[in-house]
Amino acid sequence: MKIHISGVTSRFASVALVISAALFFSACASRPPADDPFAVAAFEEANDPLEPLNRTLFKTDQVLDTVLVRPIVNGYRAVVPDRGRRSVNNFMNNIRSPITLVHDVLQGEMDRAGVTAGRLVVNTTMGFFGFFDVGEQIGLPYHSEDLGQTMAVWGAEEGPYVYVPLLGPSNFRDGFGFLVDAFLVDPLGWYLGNPRNDLEWAQWGRFGLLLLTTKDATMDATDELNASSLDYYSALRSAYRQIRADEIRNGAPPPLEDFDDFEDFDEMGRISGPGTEGTASVLPESSGIVAQSSASTLAHH
Amino acid sequence: MRAHILFAWLFVVMIGPTAPLHAQSGASDPAAFIGDFSQKGISDILAADIPNNEKQSRFRDMFDQYFDIPYIGRFVLGRYLRLTDEGQRDKFGTLFEDVIVHTWSRRFSEYDGQTLKVNSTVDDGDNGAIVKSQIVGNDGSNIGVDWRLRKRGTTFQVVDVIVEGVSMAITYRQEYSTVISRGGGFDGLLGEMQKQVDNLKGAG
Repeated sequence: MKIHISGVTSRFASVALVISAALFFSACASRPPADDPFAVAAFEEANDPLEPLNRTLFKTDQVLDTVLVRPIVNGYRAVVPDRGRRSVNNFMNNIRSPITLVHDVLQGEMDRAGVTAGRLVVNTTMGFFGFFDVGEQIGLPYHSEDLGQTMAVWGAEEGPYVYVPLLGPSNFRDGFGFLVDAFLVDPLGWYLGNPRNDLEWAQWGRFGLLLLTTKDATMDATDELNASSLDYYSALRSAYRQIRADEIRNGAPPPLEDFDDFEDFDEMGRISGPGTEGTASVLPESSGIVAQSSASTLAHH
Repeated sequence: MRAHILFAWLFVVMIGPTAPLHAQSGASDPAAFIGDFSQKGISDILAADIPNNEKQSRFRDMFDQYFDIPYIGRFVLGRYLRLTDEGQRDKFGTLFEDVIVHTWSRRFSEYDGQTLKVNSTVDDGDNGAIVKSQIVGNDGSNIGVDWRLRKRGTTFQVVDVIVEGVSMAITYRQEYSTVISRGGGFDGLLGEMQKQVDNLKGAG
């Protein structure tokens, strides 16, 4: 099949290229000396060798957030009532659902693929192009899949953490997955991206709306995290990985060994064995671009 | 990413039981323990007609009783536990409790009739269980909350709260690890926690 690379696509691609170039040419965090096992363990657990660059991008994003994103979201909230915003989220989820369907199948989750297909049909028809989540009401609950999750199921490591302004936390695996999903997997993306259809504006509009609905859905939670944390960057990185791990497990409880450390500290000051290094296993593989699955949020019922 | 994930931490106490039949049975089974906790939380604190500082002190008492705070504190310190002396650990324990009490109690006034629905209990090793529940709001919203419990004598205590897949204990642990390793060491962490508590007190 011929994939049409439109102007929008190529511009997205060049942005991605610039970001990757920046990642590769920037100074990496230096690995702590091997004789400092605590620092080494913390370094490996964070899996964030690009931390200095990421923190710079994160700070840039917070400025962008203050001067641009937040005012837009606040305006959106002021103009569109809760119900309306939920409908917009439902719509965004519905047009994205072919991507989820593909990945349900690639992960061998046929029951969930059935749910996704059923939702696509009923929401597009009875749900008026997806503005109403009829599926949820007839026992077909929403879920979201993406290439990053499929790769994780297939055994891929998450790769180094990356913070992308506007899009938020991700990592090499999920960032790659996001781009492939957007340009190669998504049928609506092919259609809008085909220059013959002259729908570039719709492609951009969709991207903008995705950013807006994502921010709208996550802003309260991340504000709260910001207010309650000592190091917002680090807390967000941790929370984000855990959310991705949860999505990859499709909501199943985390494996028990992830919490073995709880058993190591039965009494204050008495640590059983050298098992404290086991902390690296506390976090399962995870993470991904916030944007893709988050429009679900308000729609979640 | 799902709705109001982290925000929901602040709501974990803003819950009412939908399984009151079990609530009176005490705490011999994990679901009953959580039902009991949520019922008390809502009637004695969230929905109670008392001043906010009274709510806060009641919450602290409940938190002490229902949560194994020293245990959580040790988990959060993780590998750094060995680097600390008893004085530092005591100070950490006090500050950690203060951080949580003040962080959560800022939100008590936002309680708006949310209820807790206990869905199931999953075995979690020798002496524990995970109680899976949902916080259900008036607008139909719901947030998944899992409670990780450990057996303590004839009852239980909470050792972690996992909201939409995000564990409170793991998040604190990783964040504090970053704070310690970025230069100030353990005393640097204690200093920042103290500052945070002061700020929260001032804001509240």
